[in-house]
Amino acid sequence: MPLKISLLTKIMTSFIDLLTTLSITLCGPGCCGCCSALRPRYKRLVDNIFPASPQDGLVKSNMEKLTFYSLSSPEKLDRIGEYLFQKASRDIYRRRHGFVIIAMEAMDQLLVACHSQTLNLFVESFLKMVQKLLESTDPQLQILATQSFVRFANIEEDTPSYHRRYDFFVSKFSAMCHSNHSDKDTREKIRLAGIQGLQGVIRKTVSDDLVENIWEAQHMDKIVPSLLYNMQTAEKYETVSCMETDTRDGMEDDPPRLAEACLRELVGRASFGHIRSVLRPVLTHFDRHELWVPNDFAVHTFKIIMFSIQAQYSYSVVESLLRHLDAGAGTRVRAARAAVLSNIVAFAAGDSVGPSVLEIINNLLTNLRASVARDSEKESDEKLYQDALINALGEFADHLPDFQKIDIMMFIVSKIPNQRGKATKADFRLQSILLKSLLKVGTTYKTTELSKAFPAAFLDALLRLSSAGEAGTRALLQRILHTLLDRRGNAPALAVPTVDYAELGLIVEKCSRPDLIFISKHGYAIFSSLYDGLQLESNTTENISAIYTTLALLCVELASEETVCDMLQLILSIQQSALSNPVLSVSQQCALHAVALALAALVPHVLVLPRLADYVAQIIEARREEAPHLLPPLLEDYDLSPSKMPNKLPYLMIDQMALGECLKANGVEARLQPAAPYAGSALAHRHSWVEAGAAQGRDSLADISAGPNTELDSANSSPGVQRHAGAGGESVSLEALRRAAGGPSDAERREAERRRATLNDTFRTAPFDHLLAITQPKYEIKEKLEEIFNSLSEEPLLGAGIGGSPAGKPTPCAKYFPELFLY
Amino acid sequence: MEDYKFLFKVVLVGNAGVGKTCLVRRFTQGLFPPGQGATIGVDFMIKTVEVDGEKVKLQIWDTAGQERFRSITQSYYRSAHALILVYDISCQPTFDCLPDWLREIEEYANNKVLRILVGNKTDREDREIPRHIGEDFAQRHGMYFLETSAKEAENVERLFMEIAVDLMEQAKCKELPKYDGSLGPLNGKTTSVNDSSCCLRS
Ligand SMILES: Nc1nc2c(ncn2[C@@H]2O[C@H](COP(=O)(O)OP(=O)(O)O)[C@@H](O)[C@H]2O)c(=O)[nH]1
Ligand SMILES: [Mg+2]
Repeated sequence: MPLKISLLTKIMTSFIDLLTTLSITLCGPGCCGCCSALRPRYKRLVDNIFPASPQDGLVKSNMEKLTFYSLSSPEKLDRIGEYLFQKASRDIYRRRHGFVIIAMEAMDQLLVACHSQTLNLFVESFLKMVQKLLESTDPQLQILATQSFVRFANIEEDTPSYHRRYDFFVSKFSAMCHSNHSDKDTREKIRLAGIQGLQGVIRKTVSDDLVENIWEAQHMDKIVPSLLYNMQTAEKYETVSCMETDTRDGMEDDPPRLAEACLRELVGRASFGHIRSVLRPVLTHFDRHELWVPNDFAVHTFKIIMFSIQAQYSYSVVESLLRHLDAGAGTRVRAARAAVLSNIVAFAAGDSVGPSVLEIINNLLTNLRASVARDSEKESDEKLYQDALINALGEFADHLPDFQKIDIMMFIVSKIPNQRGKATKADFRLQSILLKSLLKVGTTYKTTELSKAFPAAFLDALLRLSSAGEAGTRALLQRILHTLLDRRGNAPALAVPTVDYAELGLIVEKCSRPDLIFISKHGYAIFSSLYDGLQLESNTTENISAIYTTLALLCVELASEETVCDMLQLILSIQQSALSNPVLSVSQQCALHAVALALAALVPHVLVLPRLADYVAQIIEARREEAPHLLPPLLEDYDLSPSKMPNKLPYLMIDQMALGECLKANGVEARLQPAAPYAGSALAHRHSWVEAGAAQGRDSLADISAGPNTELDSANSSPGVQRHAGAGGESVSLEALRRAAGGPSDAERREAERRRATLNDTFRTAPFDHLLAITQPKYEIKEKLEEIFNSLSEEPLLGAGIGGSPAGKPTPCAKYFPELFLY
Repeated sequence: MEDYKFLFKVVLVGNAGVGKTCLVRRFTQGLFPPGQGATIGVDFMIKTVEVDGEKVKLQIWDTAGQERFRSITQSYYRSAHALILVYDISCQPTFDCLPDWLREIEEYANNKVLRILVGNKTDREDREIPRHIGEDFAQRHGMYFLETSAKEAENVERLFMEIAVDLMEQAKCKELPKYDGSLGPLNGKTTSVNDSSCCLRS
């Protein structure tokens, strides 16, 4: 019968060739029997590829014929496709899945064989077929269909089919990603197929915007959660920057890993305009599935996003997360989100440019501010959130170049609420939070030259803050100074006052020229601000310790004969203030004495000044004997008998003259001012030379900056004496003006009176030979005594000294600080 | 077989456990599944029915009721031609949640979507929501109303058939909303893959 049919066919169709004749001749029982002769040739060719029994599989030789035919008559491709599809539909309906599989296989082969120009004709029925199989409830068919789809997705088409739509595939593959099949193995396979399918859709559509826009919300809202859902089922999250290549081709057989690879691919292909389309559903997914707390999966996912995103867009991930920080969530969730942020923010830093950097910082600060303003019931959670934000800030800054860190620090400083006027509790909190942020950023900064770390405006802002705000805030500020000053890692060793430096292993190098210029410009402002900081009634031991550390660091960092006078001058002033400042408690006085001596002991440690070292050692020894409370460590409370009060022990004080002698003995020429306090109008002298110095081209400064010819160790350039002379008392520090305007309070005045009386009393009652014994023999006792008597006769009013004297007409320093002349 | 004339997308929503999956299984497979797990994300079924001698293909998207899958399930509302909102007549809370569901539908679905309220599990003795309460609610919100039992196969066929009939009428009057922006040629010849619209097929 086949022969007969073939003959019939020959008659009916004039263009049959030998090949076809053969094929029909060989046609087995699989081709449906009746009237095949009357059927179009392509149908017969299609029929012939099916074996009698589906177990036998595709009839390969006939498949070759079909392929050959399709290639030579491409105009028939669409009909072939349609016919194959109809056959398969019928077989699905009849549950003859074996034949369905064969049909699909045939379509796959045709698809691959087709030339790209003719592909379009075939693709429609091919996809209809895939869809048909996906609609079946049989997992095997669904998986098969997915494989075919993936094969199709990997083919490059010359002419994209603009009207072709993939939303069924996206919907169905996403559903498969969530398969709930009761059999675990099958479930995994279906999910895997779903992910592969999505990967296929993405590949097919992502490269050409004219084809279906995969980035539309309706697609992303399905694709992204489907991938994440599979990723989150991983037993553990291993975050690697780059996955091995085998996962990139859907060969991965583990749904979480394949989903991750797919997400990477998606994110990697996203252009700037599309990033948000991916990120929005990511954020929603984490919200919905409550995956922020704990946040290990969120960190994993966001890191993957950062690893795979095109670097120039990484900033927008940070931005999205930032914007989402307090979107409809409790504080714990917010904190967790912020923690995620701090985990990824570093990635963005490298590729962020100026404006976006500040935008991120600003955004973080805004969130911090909002958090501070929020009266959260759960303060501890809110604090967690703030800490996480600050961490994020630090992480971000850590990965920025140093010059940007300074910009950021200045930006943060500019956001710190002004402390003048009435500060609310929230202001204080914000202040403290911002300082913490500043500290965090500061910690990441690596100081080279002080002038770079402290641009004038920044330094100014810092110094203004150093004597403002609450005690805790002030301590924080000192820590910022520590981190910026400490280039050699000495800060931990200098955390608390000490007089034993030998064991600490401090690293000291000679001060560089740029640093010298810096300190000659700003030294005064820095020292006087630190000095002021030591004068506050609200100071805790921590505050005093912190300022000590700052001063000690300055001392180490600026180790130079140029600066030694300033330092000693300051030490004397601190000691002086401990005796004369009426607001200080006894503990604070003791602490200041201890600090002054600790610093005095540090100076000969960083510079070779053996005489000074001896002198200081003697005082230390004497205090150890008689007044350990005037030595470190600082205590919270001192229980002192009246005779041990600091002001009763003038012979244990550091003596200005003695210091001068010591320096001279070691070849450092320095005329220390008799008690040059950093506060009060006497300060005006010093202030003026700092201010005027820069403007008037002060000799020594000019010398230092002039060039290599000028020797730095020239005693003449030593700040402290000549500079003082040059400028007069025209300008007055703000502090002095403020005090002058306000004047001392009655209480202050009374207290000053009382102290003066005590001091005078001390002097009068102290046995002369005792005084003699304590002060070094090399001193001209007579001269000293004369000085003392003079000062006493000249109405030594502390109160007047601070507030009473008219600005610009400084009275002699000795007048205001009689205590120093008691020796 | 593939010679359907219409393709409609039906999405089922409602609290977990009200019987959405059972309704779909009953309709598509004619069975009441014993103890299957809760739906995760979205599930998909298909069934072709005949209305007035014409084949109508129903694509049924069965969604998970749980809160956490809400974002993915919502993304399926948009292209739905009909939304079936299901509650359990023996479980007051599932009824109390209806306003929330309506709000979601309002937000994510096409405003012309056909909405049907279904009170399922009528076979149960412990009814908590009287029929008229459900009916009232449906009326107030412009929804069709039907009580069903997936278990007893009561009204299940009718539910989907009425949807098919209604949507077909709409389609014939060309009233059916066009979803997803581009509809593609209605003659369907060059866009046989296109199922984004009502898919009146030639
Ligand atoms: N008695 C009764 N139980 C039903 C009916 N429909 C579903 N159930 C049961 O309700 C539970 C949840 O059904 P399911 O279809 O998974 O709910 P879904 O979460 O809305 O999909 C299962 O235990 C079903 O056996 C019904 O019509 N009558
Ligand atoms: Mg369900």
